[in-house]
Amino acid sequence: MFDLEIATVLQRIKEKQAKRVLIQLPDGLKPRAQEVADLIEKETGAEVMIWFGSCFGACDLPIGLNSVGIDLMVQWGHNIYHKTVKEW
Amino acid sequence: MVEMVFVDATWEQEIVLGKDLLRYFEKEKVKSVGLFASVQFLKLEKVREQLQQSEIRVHETKAKRTHLKTQILGCDAYHDSFEEDIIATSDAVLYIGDGLFHPKALLLAQTGREIKPVVIWDPVSEKMKIITQADIEKQLNKKKANLKKFLAADVVGVMVTVKPGQQYMKNALFLKQVLEKKGKKVYLFLGDTFDYRLFENYPFVQVWVNTACPRIGTDDITEMQRPLINIREAYDAEKTLEEMGK
Repeated sequence: MFDLEIATVLQRIKEKQAKRVLIQLPDGLKPRAQEVADLIEKETGAEVMIWFGSCFGACDLPIGLNSVGIDLMVQWGHNIYHKTVKEW
Repeated sequence: MVEMVFVDATWEQEIVLGKDLLRYFEKEKVKSVGLFASVQFLKLEKVREQLQQSEIRVHETKAKRTHLKTQILGCDAYHDSFEEDIIATSDAVLYIGDGLFHPKALLLAQTGREIKPVVIWDPVSEKMKIITQADIEKQLNKKKANLKKFLAADVVGVMVTVKPGQQYMKNALFLKQVLEKKGKKVYLFLGDTFDYRLFENYPFVQVWVNTACPRIGTDDITEMQRPLINIREAYDAEKTLEEMGK
């Protein structure tokens, strides 16, 4: 099984006092969105939105999140991406 | 900007190479491997130990866009995507992970050279798989055909995404200047998703240039009716064709 590090995520949400959280999962983990959303809502009281679209990598982030009042976004399956301009 | 948290989603079980894989390396007289993994599968202590016990040297490097050593991304599909060219200096290439998207990058990164197979160990299914040049042949042939069409094209569409991680606006503007000096008419397009079915709306564009994810110009092209190349090749398509052996 893949470790979704739920405890860490819950802690970050509480620290941030986020009221609305967007969760973004790669295709292989999308079926676990229900489990993650239920846990976050139950443990933090934050409202959860599930990103419907693609999640190909840390380079593939949704835009316009401020307009729907997202306070915190959590993406699973990837880590920090160092965008290089020279190497393209 | 909304604050973001990344969760690696690490594979919890210990990763242990199968006996069939180690036997394959022995049969092929492999003395060194270039080791790569996707971020979920970086707990590789046992794998390194197994390889060392088999008297196989383990070469590891950091890809320029990744956060961690040994980790690979799908966009690491060029030979200079890595700090050290361990693919060239190793007898074999070993990838730990599930799926084919990442290991195919390791084949694509060898374009223009004699392509070494990539040996995959999938910790989820606990199975070994080998992918070879044959698995990217269709892509390479389409890429060559598209490069030739690009060289002959008078009208080019350069596609820029608004997704921040894949947005290369400055590069697109620079390319426009380069291509205009070569006598091509360039139109810039802006979007958030690269749906190639929408190319049909712009029949005046003879060839498209992608500035977003590099894999659009290597993998997705096989499904496209209209020719597309990556920005990297657009600066000097002739040279790329020569390197690919025309």
